[in-house]
Amino acid sequence: MTLPARDPGHAVAAVSPAFEGLFRSEYARVVGIAHRVLADQAEAEDVAQDVFISFYRGHPADAAYGRAWLHAAAAHAALNALRGRDRRSRREAAQAVPLETTVAADDPAVTVAASETREEVRAVLARLPERSAALLALRYAGLSYAEIAAALDVRASSVGTLLRRAEDAFRRELR
Amino acid sequence: MNDTQIERTLGTTEPRVNTDEALARFQARVQTEGIVPVASVPRRRVTSRWVQGLAAAAGVVIVASTLAFSGLAGSILQIFEPKSVVAVPISQSDLNYLGQACAGLNLQECMGAYGTFEWTAPPQPKEVTSRAQASALAGFTALAPSSVPSSVTGDPRYGVINRSTATFTFSADSTRQSAARQNRTPPPMPANIDGSKLFITGGPAVVQIWGAPAGTASGPGSDIPTLIVGQAKAPTVSSDGITVDELRSYLLSQPGISPQLAAAIRAIGDPSSTLPVPVPAELAISHPVTVQGVQGLFIGDNTGIAGAVIWQKDGMMFEVIGSFTESQALAIANSMR
Repeated sequence: MTLPARDPGHAVAAVSPAFEGLFRSEYARVVGIAHRVLADQAEAEDVAQDVFISFYRGHPADAAYGRAWLHAAAAHAALNALRGRDRRSRREAAQAVPLETTVAADDPAVTVAASETREEVRAVLARLPERSAALLALRYAGLSYAEIAAALDVRASSVGTLLRRAEDAFRRELR
Repeated sequence: MNDTQIERTLGTTEPRVNTDEALARFQARVQTEGIVPVASVPRRRVTSRWVQGLAAAAGVVIVASTLAFSGLAGSILQIFEPKSVVAVPISQSDLNYLGQACAGLNLQECMGAYGTFEWTAPPQPKEVTSRAQASALAGFTALAPSSVPSSVTGDPRYGVINRSTATFTFSADSTRQSAARQNRTPPPMPANIDGSKLFITGGPAVVQIWGAPAGTASGPGSDIPTLIVGQAKAPTVSSDGITVDELRSYLLSQPGISPQLAAAIRAIGDPSSTLPVPVPAELAISHPVTVQGVQGLFIGDNTGIAGAVIWQKDGMMFEVIGSFTESQALAIANSMR
């Protein structure tokens, strides 16, 4: 990822204070959701940029639904990007980020197997129904049930059930 | 596999972000691409977004009819029934030539320039209270998205448009008079076209609108539908004798039709089964997409504020319209069950 070489303090001057506040409060969360899906920080940050651009174009910065919109858009945009990956980019992504599991990093065979597992996990996410995959991405990115309900426009009381179904579908697909 | 194991399976290292740099990057992109925030985009005040939305969502039928009758498309055949959709870019000069009546999808005014348009069964939108009721009235199962973005909230309103039929009779006299009022000299209408008739059917159609108000608008931007889903029986057109080639040649000979538009119309492979969708060339983008397993069309305005997906499947036309990105619009379209 190439970042523009400019002074951040100067660059942010043109967006409204409301939008800047929203960006600062939600950027890390949006990247986190996308990263949970893509397992590639550069790609997740690209998705986050696109998500904020879409919001900036289409919604007022002080919209009450702003945070929920960004969370849902992050999940959907990341899933869309995931489905669009070709095999080569998937391999590159697998090599780019170390696993969070207890992998013996100095054992190439274990590392390769773990990478393959992660690729399969991402393939499963790409195959799941959109809402199920989004649910998993949001939940395992740390959103509360209330935040998930707001993002996916479902009742908070239904999130637990929907999440269990999504997890069941995930397990079935992973076998 | 328990939750912890799923967590571990889905796990990635938590990203460490530099929000200042990210904001600078965002700002640079906004400046480079000239992106305008929505707050600075003026929105027209309208009296009833519900009515406007209903009309917009019925566009699959109306657009097809308008295109066929307005001279934009070469898809007028003895039998016309779309199996696919294709974008036809229309420039501002084309729109100027066709006039506001055609651009505004007013069939009767638009077609008055070429002959006589008459509804034999006019469209009569009716609001119902449920999808089941809409399906029963329309005579087909109205599909609904199973997943929508969080910006789409609440329950939809349902509208049903009856099966509508119309007849259009070409008239060389009307064409001459209309052209004379605009100080134009039209090419002569071939004798076999003068007096010939076209018969069109459209609908029934079901329209579902999220975010439409119960009453009339109270202010600008306060009642814009967040999502419109339209579904209609594919329109059909038949004639009492003229062929598509005769008609296409005549229509493309009209002064004011740009070479680009004429080429786009000629490029339609099978006009008897292709629904041309007009896309303002300067204002919108469009490209084919795969939706519900078939080829459809994505249309988005250049600002990224609005997007639509249109497709045909199993004799039905579908469209999804809203303030969505392409991926969002496709996700909604693909979730329709």
